[in-house]
Amino acid sequence: MFNLVAEAVNTAVLAKGIMMGFGMIGPAIGIGLIGNAFMGAVGRNPEAAKYLGQVLVIIAIIELMALLVFASVFIIK
Amino acid sequence: MILGRFAIDPVIHITPLTVFNFHGLAITNSMLYGLACALLIMIVLITVARRMTLKPKGGITQVIEVGTDFITDLLKSSLGSEEKAIKYAPYFVAIFFFILFSNWLGLLPIVGEAFRSHGEPLLRPFTADLNGTLAAATITWLLVQYFAIRESGPVKHLRHYFNGSFKNPITLLLGVFEMFSDLTRIASLALRLFLNVAIGEIIIAVFSALGGSIGSITALPFTILELLVGALQAYIFVMLSIMYLAVAVNHGGHEESEDHLTVDEVVHDEAGKASN
Repeated sequence: MFNLVAEAVNTAVLAKGIMMGFGMIGPAIGIGLIGNAFMGAVGRNPEAAKYLGQVLVIIAIIELMALLVFASVFIIK
Repeated sequence: MILGRFAIDPVIHITPLTVFNFHGLAITNSMLYGLACALLIMIVLITVARRMTLKPKGGITQVIEVGTDFITDLLKSSLGSEEKAIKYAPYFVAIFFFILFSNWLGLLPIVGEAFRSHGEPLLRPFTADLNGTLAAATITWLLVQYFAIRESGPVKHLRHYFNGSFKNPITLLLGVFEMFSDLTRIASLALRLFLNVAIGEIIIAVFSALGGSIGSITALPFTILELLVGALQAYIFVMLSIMYLAVAVNHGGHEESEDHLTVDEVVHDEAGKASN
């Protein structure tokens, strides 16, 4: 039965779409949480904005997860 | 890759192509670009070091000095003292400039799909190639281990991973896991740099194909984004490896506290002053 499915439906495109959809939720929510914490901390202590702003490079570490999903799209044929 | 209807199909390569064979060793186009980039930073950095003066004179010397000061400040805040920062600065400044130049010069029109010789692109950014970034990450990790062993001796460096004694099975297992997770740092450093630069190239290719005849204008915002991403990724690579070095070189928290304000010492001092 799965042979029929594989002939009628383009499973590679389906797989790519589902992977991109579910995969990008995590990093997006994570970066949003960092922004939330940054806003809260700067609101309480505006002078610390310069020091806290330098921690924002953590976003690039989270981007690795999003980019791994994006790169897998090119690996699936 | 099928992308629907484009005016021109975007040509995207993820793996580098071999340009010629040299006694059985395949020289790829990213290796050529990497050699050119390394020669360029050697020439630029040695020339700037010769022209160092006490009063700032402007020109390219000041630009390179800004980058060097940036990395040395990062080292100083991570490692603690200035003489340690100067001792380890040469490698980190050099790798920062190498990755920065490799990312930025990869946006020139010469590098990439347009400039072909014998039907294949001749140059390709060194960091847009997984082999290149794996090499950079492996060399960085080996050098961090070498610096840590040179700083504290091989046995003491191994004791960093094991918190308790060797006889306790839990700490032994945790220590072995920590040693393996050290190896995954190579993969994460390499993949982060490779994916950011390679996906930038893909985005520029796709958007310039979307434009058709005005492809150079539609790809302009993403080229500017790639300038920012290239610089940021070079900074993150160097910052993370400095952090790993700081963790391996710092001897935990086993130092005595600086202020002698424990109860026994204060009472002793008071008793000593009262009797005098």
